[in-house]
Amino acid sequence: MSTSFAAGVLTSSILSGTSLLYATLGELVGERAGIVNLGLEGTMLIGASVGFAAASVTGDPYLGLLAAGLAGTAANLLFGFVVISRRANQLAAGLTLMFFGFGASALIGRPFVGAIVPGLPEFFGFDALVWLAAPTAVGLWCVIFRTRWGLGLRAVGEDPVAAFASGRRPESLRYQALSLGGFLGGIGGAHLSLALTLTWDEGMTAGRGFIAIALVIFARWNPLWAVPGALVFGGAEALQLQLQARGADVSPFLMNMTPYLLTMLILVFWGWNRRSTAPAALGRNFFGVE
Amino acid sequence: MRLRLLIPLLMPLWLLLPGALPLAAQTKLTVGAIYVGSVHDYGYNEAMHDGLMAMKKAIPGVTLLEAENVPETAESTRIMEGMIQHGAKLIFATSFGHQQFAFDLAKQHPDVDFEHAGGWMQMPNFGNFFGATQAAWYPMGVAAGKMTKSNILGFVAGVPIGYVVGNINAFAMGARSVNPKAEVHVVVTGGWSDKAKEAAAANALIDQGADVVTMHVDSPATVIQTAEHRGVYSIGFQSIAAKALAPKFWITGLGFTWGPFMTETAKSVMAGGFKPAMVREGLGQMMAVAPFGPAVPAATRTLVTAAAEKVEKGYNPFTGPVTDNTGVVRIKDGESWGGDKMGSFDWYVEGVIGKPK
Repeated sequence: MSTSFAAGVLTSSILSGTSLLYATLGELVGERAGIVNLGLEGTMLIGASVGFAAASVTGDPYLGLLAAGLAGTAANLLFGFVVISRRANQLAAGLTLMFFGFGASALIGRPFVGAIVPGLPEFFGFDALVWLAAPTAVGLWCVIFRTRWGLGLRAVGEDPVAAFASGRRPESLRYQALSLGGFLGGIGGAHLSLALTLTWDEGMTAGRGFIAIALVIFARWNPLWAVPGALVFGGAEALQLQLQARGADVSPFLMNMTPYLLTMLILVFWGWNRRSTAPAALGRNFFGVE
Repeated sequence: MRLRLLIPLLMPLWLLLPGALPLAAQTKLTVGAIYVGSVHDYGYNEAMHDGLMAMKKAIPGVTLLEAENVPETAESTRIMEGMIQHGAKLIFATSFGHQQFAFDLAKQHPDVDFEHAGGWMQMPNFGNFFGATQAAWYPMGVAAGKMTKSNILGFVAGVPIGYVVGNINAFAMGARSVNPKAEVHVVVTGGWSDKAKEAAAANALIDQGADVVTMHVDSPATVIQTAEHRGVYSIGFQSIAAKALAPKFWITGLGFTWGPFMTETAKSVMAGGFKPAMVREGLGQMMAVAPFGPAVPAATRTLVTAAAEKVEKGYNPFTGPVTDNTGVVRIKDGESWGGDKMGSFDWYVEGVIGKPK
C-alpha cells in the first residue's frame, strides 16, 4: 500500500472540500448581508465552464480562475439586480439563477467539451487554491468581524432599516456582498473543472452548490467554522470512496448516501438549537424608508 | 418592466429555427441520431458519432441530423419527431433510456425505421444493437495483469448493473489468467456521469495502491486524466479516442466500432429491406482494441493481441467452473454463460474486491 488509509482519506477530503469551502464562503458573505442565494449551484457552474473555457483559450489556468471569479460575480450581480433593485422574492429568483446557470454554463462550455486544458500547477502536492482556501476563510472572517465594511455588512443583514438610518446604504452593500460572493462561488466551481477533474461537463457540480448552502448553516455564518465543515463534507465523500477502494464489506449504494445522510443529521442536530446566529433580516428585501 | 413586449418580438425567431435545418428532399436518405451527452466526450457518445460519420462517408448523399444532450425524457420524442418532419427515414436512438420514447414514435411512423442501442424491444421498423462487451474485457484484463506491479487494479464503475458486473468479471479473469496475484478493486460512483466523483474515485483507488485504473462510465476522460496526472497506468473504454488523454501511461482500451453496422443498416433502409434484429457483436465487429501506449512491452502486446484473437474466435471466459468472490461456484463445470445471461451478473468473480449490491 503506497499511502496509509488515513493519509489517503485526508488528501481526498482536502481535494473534495476545497471547492465546497470557496462556495460556502461565497454564500456566507451574501447571507451576512441578508441575501439567500439558492442559485449558488448556477454561479458555480458558470464559474466552472467560463474558467475552463478561458484556460482553454489562453492556455493559462490562472487567467481561467480570474475569468471564473468574474463570471461568478456577473451571475450574482444579475441575481442582485432582480432581488435588490427589482425586489423580487429571493428564493424564487435564486432557483431561477440556478436554472439560468445550468443553461448558460452549458452554452458557454459546449465548444470546449473534450478540450485538454493545463491544470492548476501544484506546490508540495496541492494546487494554489487548496493552499489559499483556509487563509481565504480567515481573511473573510477578519473582513466581516474586524472592519467597518464588515460591520456595515452585518448591520444590513440584521436590520437594513436601522443600518440605513445610521448612514449605511443597504442596497449598495448588498451588491458588494453579492459581487464578492459570486467571485468566491465562481472560483469554487472552477476548482472542479480546472484542478479536480480537468474536464468540463454539463451540471458537473452535481448538487455541491446546495451542500454549500447547508454548510453555511452548519458554520453558523462564521467563515472559520466553514473550514472544518467543508472538510467533514469533503471527507464524507472521500471516506466512502476510499472504503470501497479498500473493499469494505458494505453495499456501495448505502455508502453513496453518506454525504446526504450527514447533511440531514447536521440539519437535525443544529436545527433544534434555538440560539440561532442567522442574520435577522436573512431573505428579507429592503424596500427603502418612506 | 416592458419585458412582456419582448416575448412577441422573440416569437418569429422561434419559428425560424426549424428552417435552419437542411432540406431533406434533395438527398437519398436522411438519418437522425440523438445522443444523451456531447459527441466530444472521448466516450460513449463520441463512439456513436464516429460510427455515424463513418456511415456518412461510406454512403455518398446521406444527410445526417444530430442532436446532442438529449435527455432520456419526452423531450427526446419531440426532437426525434422534428427529425422525422425534416425527412429522416432512419433514426438512431443511442442511449438506453431513449428506448420507450423511440418505440412509441416508431408505432406512429411505420414508414420510418428505428435502431436503438442496448435495449430489447422489437417491431417491424424497430431493431436494437449493442456490443458484446463482456468477453472483450478479457484481453483488457490480460494487459492490466501484465502491467501491474502492486497487483491492485482499480475499476471505477458508474452503476453496478449486470452488464457492468460482467465487464468487471471478465476483466478480473483476464488479469488473473496471466497474474494469479492480481486483484480488482471496484469503486461505484452511483451515476454514469459525475466527474468530480469519478476523479475522487480514481484518486481513492490510487491511494489504496492501484497502479492500473480503468472504468465503465459514460466518458472515460476524467479517470484517464486523473491517472495520467498521478503517474498511474490507465485502460480506456467506450471510445478509442481516449488514448489522446494519456500520452505516457495509456496501456490500451476497448472502443465501440459502430461504423460497419450503421452503414449496413442505412443501406438496407435505402434498398427498402430494413430487417430489425437484436444484434450483439463483440471484438472484430462492433468492438476493437485500441492501439497500445508507449510503456507497454512487446511481449505484453503479443499476449493481449493473442487474447483478443482468442475472444474474437469465440472463446467464452464464462465457462465453468467459475467461482464468485465468496467461494460459491456460480457456473458449474461443463456449463457456460452465453449472451443471454450477460445482464444477470449480481456477483463478482474470485479476485474482485467489492460488493455488487
